[in-house]
Amino acid sequence: MQQIWLITGPPGCGKTNWIRETLLNHGGSCAYLRLDGTSHGGLELGHNAGIDRSWLMDQIPQLEDWSEPTSDSQLSSSDRFVLIEAQQFSAPKPSADGPDPEIKQQLDRFNLTPYRMLHFGVDPELPKQDTLDFTRLEAWHLDLQGCVWDPNSLSSFWFELVNGAYGDVYRAKALMNMPDGRSFFCNWMVSQSGSQFLPLQSVVPPTGRPRRRSHLVIQGKDLIPSGIESTINDCLLSDDVLELQQAPLRDQQSNLQPTF
Amino acid sequence: MAHAVISCLHANLAAFEAVLDDIDQQGIKTITCLGDLVGYGPQPNEVVELVRQRAIPTCQGCWDEDIIDGLNACECSYPSQLAERRGHQAHHWTANCLTDDNKAFLAQLPTTLRRDKLLFVHGSPNSQHEYLLPDMNAFAALERVETAGAETLFCGHTHQPYVRELSGGSIRVSVQQSGSEPAREQEMTLPMCRIVNAGSVGEPRHGSTKATYVVHDDVSGEVSIREVNYDVAKTCQAIVEAGLPEVFAWRLSHGFEYAGAPKMPAMCASDD
Amino acid sequence: MIERWALVSGLCGDLDLYERIQSDLKKQRDIADLFVLGDLIGPDRNCDALLMRLRQPKRGDLQPNCIYGWWEEQLLVDYGYRGDQKPDVCNDPDGATTMRHLREAVSQEHLNWLSSLQFGFIELDYGLIHGSSADVGVPLQETTSPLILLDRLTRLDVNRLFTARSGRQFRLQLTGGQIQSKVKDHAGEGQSNQAVPKRSVIGIGSGANYTVYSPASDHIKFLSVAGRSGRSNLGFG
Repeated sequence: MQQIWLITGPPGCGKTNWIRETLLNHGGSCAYLRLDGTSHGGLELGHNAGIDRSWLMDQIPQLEDWSEPTSDSQLSSSDRFVLIEAQQFSAPKPSADGPDPEIKQQLDRFNLTPYRMLHFGVDPELPKQDTLDFTRLEAWHLDLQGCVWDPNSLSSFWFELVNGAYGDVYRAKALMNMPDGRSFFCNWMVSQSGSQFLPLQSVVPPTGRPRRRSHLVIQGKDLIPSGIESTINDCLLSDDVLELQQAPLRDQQSNLQPTF
Repeated sequence: MAHAVISCLHANLAAFEAVLDDIDQQGIKTITCLGDLVGYGPQPNEVVELVRQRAIPTCQGCWDEDIIDGLNACECSYPSQLAERRGHQAHHWTANCLTDDNKAFLAQLPTTLRRDKLLFVHGSPNSQHEYLLPDMNAFAALERVETAGAETLFCGHTHQPYVRELSGGSIRVSVQQSGSEPAREQEMTLPMCRIVNAGSVGEPRHGSTKATYVVHDDVSGEVSIREVNYDVAKTCQAIVEAGLPEVFAWRLSHGFEYAGAPKMPAMCASDD
Repeated sequence: MIERWALVSGLCGDLDLYERIQSDLKKQRDIADLFVLGDLIGPDRNCDALLMRLRQPKRGDLQPNCIYGWWEEQLLVDYGYRGDQKPDVCNDPDGATTMRHLREAVSQEHLNWLSSLQFGFIELDYGLIHGSSADVGVPLQETTSPLILLDRLTRLDVNRLFTARSGRQFRLQLTGGQIQSKVKDHAGEGQSNQAVPKRSVIGIGSGANYTVYSPASDHIKFLSVAGRSGRSNLGFG
């Protein structure tokens, strides 16, 4: 029987990482859906830019993307495991017998009813993470589709970002493109030590600007968007520089081609 | 008698004034400056004018040279595109801001200064752009001092102060020439020498925000590295008011170099 | 088969000398590589025939691998290939005349090729240059301070440095020695000893004096081709 689980928790508690490990262990037919989270007073939601979806699709080749499902894929499959993720700052009330109304509204549109609902910080099946108490949270995001980074500049920018040069950043995640065709999932949460820079499995040929998803999402306090954007502009490669870096890579690749 | 050596002021007036106060309080009358009066910081004219007012003998730093000769003359390579863009931005801002009179002062600065067996340079005797790091090959370090005819070499450029003494050195060689003569053996005893890096007044990079300089007693030979607190917030405010990138203020207030190398491993998986 | 290198310099446009060297090398066994360490040209004779031969070797020639030397540098500086500098030779009393002879000795069709030549061949353990690692015009010889020789080896990080500018044939081996280094900084103090590495500087000679080297056995042979030795002071022809 198809299993549908809803996984909720505040930003940066580790929902996507847990989902990735769980689906890899499952090994069989599976699907993923990320819903818009629940609003909560002065706490702005991180923009749902599809970063987590792209990351999971890259890591788990058989994963179905249910963000735009067809009627076929929603047919109940014998052992399909469906994980639905949503950002939710506050824990569900003990008396609640269903998901948060804002989440339920979205589930109804997809015609989905979760069999299990797990919330980080409440349910023991989920790893214990230090989840922060948020009282005020701003959100900011930038679409980086078609943008390619100078790798050393990205390292410097990320260091500045997570160490407070552009405001108090609590949560930052991104998909970033490199000139050699690789893409990295960059992940930071203030309660964890260190950032993650995880390369995606799929690498595109170094022939200009890649068309795949690239986005930066930040949550924090007293953010300085103008400073962030200005620095990002200085980190991104222009067409000329990108071509200068990619041409030798293409030559290397063509030299490796077998000749008959 | 004690004398002070300062370096890499980088247009940071508050730091420079604090260092001069510290030197004055010790009753030291002789000060030598190893260049980079300007670059990145918000008060290039004020710093140059204070050097001129105090008549501090100064050698030309790489930034001083680049302001006069232009960006195309710059031999510095930057660790990233971001660092390069910031460096160029700082260069253009400084070049536009400096008065012609102060530029003329920087242009006439010598590349080296000498007093007896003491030699004062910005980077190395070879170049204003060469870094003499404390872990560079010891024989190469000795060669820099010995070839320049000095016993103690004062340098800056790295922004990290240190005192390095090279002693007990010798090199043995065997020489063979054409013909059937046997090889000749020779031994060269190397003189003792010291390299003293004065660190930086205006843009410290040794892990603290304090300005650094050195005091050398040319009778006893003793060298001490001095660290001086100054009002960093005042310089940060001046950076913002001058219209320089605000991130420069953040970097200075945390003891990071303005256009430094990436602090995080470039694009590798974490241990999480 | 143990392959050996032949190292030559200071041909200064003398095609006859080059042919005699090629002939000499053919008579010796196992020479697989020929390196010409600069001063292919000079002001004393027309150099075009030699340059054509170096660029387009005849069948049977050992293929020459060339780098630029002091005379090449003078010509390239004069033609503006190095920015606004003036040729060093212009500082000599006869400098202007010498430069005129040099320009007349080399047809302009060779300039681009000369400007494409490298400063040296640096690979693994070996550095092959004309002068010193610091300057193409500065000679290294057996009487140069060992401290300077060690520095020039360190700059290229090679164990064997072959140089030609001095025109002398010698092998200077660093056989021992050490130095103590004490460093004090804000974090504390430390001390270390560094030993002199076992490295060599080899002067390969010039003109008719050349060198054969075996990388496998590290064996050097200083040779001289029969006939004239050293640089020719004859005029054109």
